[in-house]
Amino acid sequence: MAVSWLSRLAAHSPATVFPALGMRGEEAFYRLALNPRVKLVDSPRHASLLLVAGGVPPEMQESLRQVHDQLPAPFTTLWYQSEPLLELQQAGVEKLDSLEALPDVLVDAHRKTLRGELGASPRLLPDKPPNPWQGLGDDGHGGEGMMGGVPYGRPMAMPPTEDLRDGLALDILTFRLGPFFPLWPAGLEAEVTLQGDIVQQFAVRSPPFPRTLAPVFFEARKQAAPIARLELEWTRYHLRALFHALHLAGLPDLALRALQLADDCDLAKIAVLGKRFKALKRSLKCRGFFALHLPKRGALSKEQAQTLGGYAARAAGIDDDTRAEDESYRRLGFSLIAQQESNTQTRWRQRLAEIAQSLTLADRAQQDNVVTANLEALETPRGPWRDELPKDASALLEDLLPGLEWGEALATIASLDLAAASQWPREAQEKRGEGAA
Amino acid sequence: MALFALLVILLISLGGGLLLQWWPSRYQTIPTYPQRAPFLGGGLPDTHAWSRYHVRYYPMTLLLIAFEMEMMFMYPWAVVYVAEGMKAVMEMGMFLAILSVGILYGWREGVFKWQ
Repeated sequence: MAVSWLSRLAAHSPATVFPALGMRGEEAFYRLALNPRVKLVDSPRHASLLLVAGGVPPEMQESLRQVHDQLPAPFTTLWYQSEPLLELQQAGVEKLDSLEALPDVLVDAHRKTLRGELGASPRLLPDKPPNPWQGLGDDGHGGEGMMGGVPYGRPMAMPPTEDLRDGLALDILTFRLGPFFPLWPAGLEAEVTLQGDIVQQFAVRSPPFPRTLAPVFFEARKQAAPIARLELEWTRYHLRALFHALHLAGLPDLALRALQLADDCDLAKIAVLGKRFKALKRSLKCRGFFALHLPKRGALSKEQAQTLGGYAARAAGIDDDTRAEDESYRRLGFSLIAQQESNTQTRWRQRLAEIAQSLTLADRAQQDNVVTANLEALETPRGPWRDELPKDASALLEDLLPGLEWGEALATIASLDLAAASQWPREAQEKRGEGAA
Repeated sequence: MALFALLVILLISLGGGLLLQWWPSRYQTIPTYPQRAPFLGGGLPDTHAWSRYHVRYYPMTLLLIAFEMEMMFMYPWAVVYVAEGMKAVMEMGMFLAILSVGILYGWREGVFKWQ
């Protein structure tokens, strides 16, 4: 294929990558989001590379084929700590397991793809209409109903059902979203029914992939662990969640600031982290993150908040934090923070207040080298870990989201931490990946 | 002759336009059917996207047009005002009073609330 001067010029631009995140793929995602040579995009139509990061379960491979075939030609697929699809294994696809080498490999693949030096990824699905026009006439013309026939084989979005908002009944639109939808947790797959812009039904088909925790949380269940390290990992976890919420709110510069702060959560930089977080919080307020982007909706009931645990429970006024049971935390002056109503806005206020508290605790704990005293229970950023790790709670979306506008529903999902906590610590997995390489 | 020249200019313009459209896309392949499907993160739609949808900002749009018309009326009025004086002010006052009642009605019905 001839390569136009436009393609040659585009080869020098940052590598546009659509990340299809599998299990344990989030570390690669956060690393790439901070790399200026790589641009992560929210739609495969804007990408020249498809990065499959982490393991994809067999039941999600059909969805992966759909996403794969939605990239515009020419494009290349890379597999990071993931097994390529059967059809692509003979095509000599690029597999890699090293996180350090990933940005360079992506930039190189982007350049070579646009210059035509790299074989483009083949199409996996047949090039024919998924739902051909079904008319009644000999040439497929005509039919029954308002539009004459069944356009592209799909039934028309009707009849209308009762409206949830103001009684104006509209046609309903049902679709399955996920598991590679970039604006909600990786792995979450749901059947959504919209009436206009209102969510009428939300059925979870597949829960999000379990989130990995830092190894220090697992150490703290076996032996006394430094509180400064625990609190910094706590901060990192919540700042990464803030990155997603800010990205969803259309504030990409603030999202990158939050992610950069999460990346800098290190014992050596602890003195400046508090100041940087305060500056970030001021910027959030000035840019209207609370007032414009966080609806006072999506409130959890006490039972739902109790099921979810952690900051969501405290935002609902439930005084539950296992750190209050730890003698070392009490000596550091730990006091429980809680809100009154667990809606999307108060959940983020709670989360940000807890980040500020964690940074203060980490600073104090580092000065006196304080370690944990309670091995029986541990407060992870996802929730309390007593007898077992926090479990998946995505099923509560089915009761929470109906009645919300679509934008409010996405903001509500971003304010919640629904995925189960993985039983494998974060770095241990990376080591296993390197071992496999 | 003039008509023929016009036809030639029209044909040349049309040809030039089509060439301009075709030239950058001559190497581009036609998107496949799966590529043309709506992106749903790996999912698929159950129903067709041709659905009746309520444009909820519609009353606000109508209100904007009403205000615009009012302004259009005020330009010629400003010219007449110089000649007519107080009489024109009274007439414009009556017109604005009627419009204000409409605005108050719209306000009560919640048209200023963005949905």
